[in-house]
Amino acid sequence: MEQRLANTLIMTVNEKKFIENALVSDIRVDGRRPFDYRNLTIRFGSEDGSSEVQLGKTQVLAFVTGQLVQPYRDRPNEGSFAIYTEFSPMADPSFEPGRPGDSAIELGRIVDRGLRESRAVDTESLCVIAGKVVWSIRIDLHIIDNGGNLVDAANIAALAALSTFRRPECTVGGEDGQELTIHPPDVREPLPLILHHFPVAVTFGFIGKENIVKAGGDGVLQSVIMQCLRIASVKAGDITSKIKNAVESYNTQRSLRKIKRHNPSSAVSNVAKHHTVREPNSQSVDTNALRASQPSCATPVDKLNEESTQVNPETKSTQQSSDMNSSASTHEVTDIGSPEKQSNTLKDAVKPKHKRRKKSTSNVNAN
Amino acid sequence: MANQTLKLGGGLPQDGDAICVMKAGKLRFMKPNKYWVESSQKRYVPSAGDNVLGVVVDTKPENFLVDIKGPALAFLPVLSFEGGTRRNIPKFEVGTLLYVRVVSANTGMNPELTCMDANGKAAEYGVLKEGYMFESSTGLSRALLSSPPHPVLEGLGKKLSFEIAVGINGRFWVNASQSSTVILVGNAIQKSESLSLVQQKIYLEKLLKSIQ
Repeated sequence: MEQRLANTLIMTVNEKKFIENALVSDIRVDGRRPFDYRNLTIRFGSEDGSSEVQLGKTQVLAFVTGQLVQPYRDRPNEGSFAIYTEFSPMADPSFEPGRPGDSAIELGRIVDRGLRESRAVDTESLCVIAGKVVWSIRIDLHIIDNGGNLVDAANIAALAALSTFRRPECTVGGEDGQELTIHPPDVREPLPLILHHFPVAVTFGFIGKENIVKAGGDGVLQSVIMQCLRIASVKAGDITSKIKNAVESYNTQRSLRKIKRHNPSSAVSNVAKHHTVREPNSQSVDTNALRASQPSCATPVDKLNEESTQVNPETKSTQQSSDMNSSASTHEVTDIGSPEKQSNTLKDAVKPKHKRRKKSTSNVNAN
Repeated sequence: MANQTLKLGGGLPQDGDAICVMKAGKLRFMKPNKYWVESSQKRYVPSAGDNVLGVVVDTKPENFLVDIKGPALAFLPVLSFEGGTRRNIPKFEVGTLLYVRVVSANTGMNPELTCMDANGKAAEYGVLKEGYMFESSTGLSRALLSSPPHPVLEGLGKKLSFEIAVGINGRFWVNASQSSTVILVGNAIQKSESLSLVQQKIYLEKLLKSIQ
């Protein structure tokens, strides 16, 4: 006897007839007109490189992570990226856990081809040491609710996650130029990926025989395709601007967070506190503030940013967040270029700082 | 505390002396002693006595194979119709929508269906023609079948005329003279699932105003 598990959608005859009838009067089953798009919401998680896209009922999560690996032999100067899709069983009764099925693999390949063949992700910038070490970016797509049109939603989620992903900065140094240092995010600001453009997918569904092929009518077919292309280009521009706006507001929030995430209790005598919006009463801005305070990179205040000596002291006493914001953004730009100054006093101050902090956290964990 | 025997329903297994909760949902109580956890899911677990909407996927000599959104296909014997004999077996093509009753559903076996009620009459079971079938969660289906009628259903019924059949397996079918009415009713019911009672009333008012 057949023990078939819940399968993909089985259409009733009622549904087919109804959909065709309704389309004649230009109305779709959920009340939309033929070329209406559902509401698109793009949200970001707390970590860089995680996005959640909602397209009507469809929900897709994307996570971007990076790893240092050896490059391919034939491409020693380029990094790589790979896409993994997971169709969660909670999205649809027909999704099974375990190995991805055909539709999951196809979805992954469509998104992958869109990014790879259009060369949207700049892989050459992912090279650290040519021929030895490159970045490999991994994009994980999780479908958590299937309301249709997974391709579009997954594509947008991947693009949004790639736009907000930050990888740690690496510098190559040492005597032979082969020594690699990976800077943790609180020492050096992590870098975003370079995306040349946004390949956006817009899916069309053709229903009924009349729309696709008319006997002896190439003309009709072409005009339909042209119409689809026109609609798609408008839609793609729409979606791109939505993604960019969402990413921008995320970046602003992120830099605001970096300013406020400052722990006044762990100050060292060498290090000066700087004003945050939350503590208008702290009076500890002394002359040492000139050396220490840099809002955008300093998550803990004890992190001493050496370039700060060159930047004006305007940053230290700002009470308005907008001021901080502008200084933070300008500083982010300069930070990438300026080298680390190593002076004895600062270095000595940093090392015991970190040890002490680590000890305190380990004590907390033990308890 | 007097000694009491409790009947524990779904979602409440007994672990030695303690009762634990295994499902997310509302704890329900029915007098005198029944407790269970009611949750709303996309998947349906067949159980005997349920009225469901099924779709025919295949025909065999003895049974129709019907999909009822459960883990396995269900069997509908070809004779389980009112006045059914070997000579007048109905011909169902693949994709026919049926309103059926679950006779038996044991784990591991395919559930059995029938198109007759307990007395052998057709009642309302059988083929549903025209209209459109919408998907819902099991919780919404229960709400649509509950005794004080669902507010959105009642409100729409006062203004519009339509036919509706609700299956407890997370499907409901709507038919009306116009496609737009069907679409309106179906979408309104689906959207109302996530709204509270007050919100449902407001949503209903707005909807009915926009029709006129």
